[in-house]
Amino acid sequence: MKLTLKQKQIYSRPDLCIGCRICANACALVHEGEANPRLGRINIRQNLFERYEYQELCRHCDDPPCLDACMVGCIEKDQETGIVTNDDRCVGCWMCVMVCPYGSMKRNLKEQVAVKCDQCRDRNRPVCVEVCPTGALVFEERED
Amino acid sequence: MEGKKALCVNAVINLSDSTVDLVETPENIIRKFIGGRGLNMYYLYKYLKPQADPLSPDNVLILGTGLLTGTLSPNSGRHNVTCKSPESGIIGDANIGGFLGPEMRFAGIDRLIILGKAEKPVYLYIEDGNIEIRDAKDYWGLLCSETEARFKYNLGSDVEVQSIGPAGENLVRFACTRYGAKNAAGRTGTGAVWGSKNLKAVVVRGTRGLPVEDPQGMIDKYIELRDYLQESKVIKVLGRVGTPLLYDVSNYLGAIRTHNSQQTVFFDSLNAEEVHKHVDKMLGCYGCVVHCRHRNTHGGEGPEYTTEVLLGANIGVADTGRMIDLNNIVNDLGLDVSSTGTYIAWAIELFEKGYLTEESAGRILRFGDYNMARQLIFDIAYRRGLGDILAEGSKLVEKFGPETADFLIAIKGLPQSDPHDVRYLKGFALGIATSSRGADHLRSRPTLEILDLPASLTTQIYGEPVDPNPTSYQSKSRVVYFSETIYAVVDCMGICKFICHGFNSPRNLNYDHFRELTKLATGLDFSKEDLHNAGRLVIDQERLINYREKGITRKDDTLPARYFDEPMPSARAKGSHINREQFEMMLDEYYELCGWDQEGILPRERIDQLDQLKDLTE
Repeated sequence: MKLTLKQKQIYSRPDLCIGCRICANACALVHEGEANPRLGRINIRQNLFERYEYQELCRHCDDPPCLDACMVGCIEKDQETGIVTNDDRCVGCWMCVMVCPYGSMKRNLKEQVAVKCDQCRDRNRPVCVEVCPTGALVFEERED
Repeated sequence: MEGKKALCVNAVINLSDSTVDLVETPENIIRKFIGGRGLNMYYLYKYLKPQADPLSPDNVLILGTGLLTGTLSPNSGRHNVTCKSPESGIIGDANIGGFLGPEMRFAGIDRLIILGKAEKPVYLYIEDGNIEIRDAKDYWGLLCSETEARFKYNLGSDVEVQSIGPAGENLVRFACTRYGAKNAAGRTGTGAVWGSKNLKAVVVRGTRGLPVEDPQGMIDKYIELRDYLQESKVIKVLGRVGTPLLYDVSNYLGAIRTHNSQQTVFFDSLNAEEVHKHVDKMLGCYGCVVHCRHRNTHGGEGPEYTTEVLLGANIGVADTGRMIDLNNIVNDLGLDVSSTGTYIAWAIELFEKGYLTEESAGRILRFGDYNMARQLIFDIAYRRGLGDILAEGSKLVEKFGPETADFLIAIKGLPQSDPHDVRYLKGFALGIATSSRGADHLRSRPTLEILDLPASLTTQIYGEPVDPNPTSYQSKSRVVYFSETIYAVVDCMGICKFICHGFNSPRNLNYDHFRELTKLATGLDFSKEDLHNAGRLVIDQERLINYREKGITRKDDTLPARYFDEPMPSARAKGSHINREQFEMMLDEYYELCGWDQEGILPRERIDQLDQLKDLTE
């Protein structure tokens, strides 16, 4: 399956990332109603001694490995918007977590379900992009 | 969430008998002391045995998060480390950023109250409400960076670690505790208290998260405040070059602490522009909209304005790269940079004046000698030779004679942190003289006095007009009183002072903003007056502890004799010094505002009130 959708994506600019985790925290507030960066669909990888930080986020792949790996079929890609989402049929087998090449499937260990970015379908712009204090995340359509 | 989490859960950990108890703070006490520094002081007063030796098992060590720590409030990554200070003998309290405070709250623990002493080196491992006291033999002796890296390797890269370095282990009286490469609960020697309890580190993993009363409201408020704050010029500059921006301001004024405050002007090589040539990237702590922390090209983080002056100008090191090297070493060894730089400069002057000799010091001490300073820093941390002596800090005044205190830039036993020589700015001088933890700018720095603000604006901020002349003694007590109160509140909230009204700028977040944020995050309604009263109560509490522990009164609210007796030698500030009579007048006014008597002692009914509050919790 190869799609040629024109799709707005969240792009990261790691050089501008200061590691504050505001994006992850706001994401958790929107989706889980609590402050908890671990439940953010976006994650900041940082090591202060190896001196790096970057954002792990979902690319909403044209051909998503998570979709293929999901054994209950709860992950789907919207043919119009291109957004890849999962639903509450998830049984927490973590196959999607294992196959995602970008490390952007997250585990909600309290509920034992996988969580993933839905590009904040209910908002004008993804909340992570809205709250980033340095412009290290942008939401735009690009020619790849 | 499993039920609704209590607003404040404290873990009382006794290292002597390896017990852990969880106790909740009732809402009526939270309303009085809020959290963070405030509740830390409350519990210090409650648990500390009067006159306890700070390095004995009787000392109480408290790590307490603020009421807004970990929420989406801007810059809400801070917590306070509190104990009785082994350096000064009064309250020991230091505020630290980074990520540990939020992680504690995500793990369901808002405060650690650590008692007793472990038999052998241990660390605390906290995960989702469970607290384990674990063997730390694999970590004892490591530098701060090595400690954290090894914990992350062994326990997973997502744990947060706050630890002590060799300085804390060796009970250097001004050792700090550290998170990451640079964040430090720096002042008052909290690291030595960790060392005395055989506590190497606190390691936290929190997956539970923190309930927020109104998530959507919180996001909207965050965006509004971020945009508001980022319009501020000071915030913009801080994000670009960090605190070194203040170097030129003080230097051109002729008020940069140089050669142990014998001089007041130093080379341009330490200004923000030069420092920035050694910077890779600017970083932020948890929830930060400012990002003032440098990742330097020498393998560490920093330097702050404090570091570049106290390990630069104050000891005569003008080379930017060498100063940053000293900064990195001090950070990794776990020393308080303000105290370290002040004591080394003092030692050099002791040498100049003959109190130390080549024989007794084991070396020649002189300003500008980078290699000597570098070696001495290691010797202090590992307590070797002269370093072993200097590791005793301000207690050395007893050894060298009381007259040596005249040129030790310290108050109440704590060296001055701010690199600004306060002989020019009178309100600032009153601020460091009355600060509850010793000579410190973060308690009450009345920064706005230098800005020449119109009376209409000062009336709006302080409630009455303030003399816009920075060298005037008039009405400055009002500025100090205002500043110390709101800074106490911001410390209770767990928010960074860089976005606090009055610290860098007359705008930024004020009581009304804190009220709104608290309501959104916790549902608690505070009035502006409630917050102001809480700030005052915290300061009263600190004053009472200081009075009980060391009899702190008016005689201690003073300045090093150098600030009174020696006029400043250079530039615009030339000739400035603090006039003793005028200073006493400022003190009179200040005590009146605080409602203390003319000796600076709390009235009986307030002491009784604090005693009653103390007995209200289990």
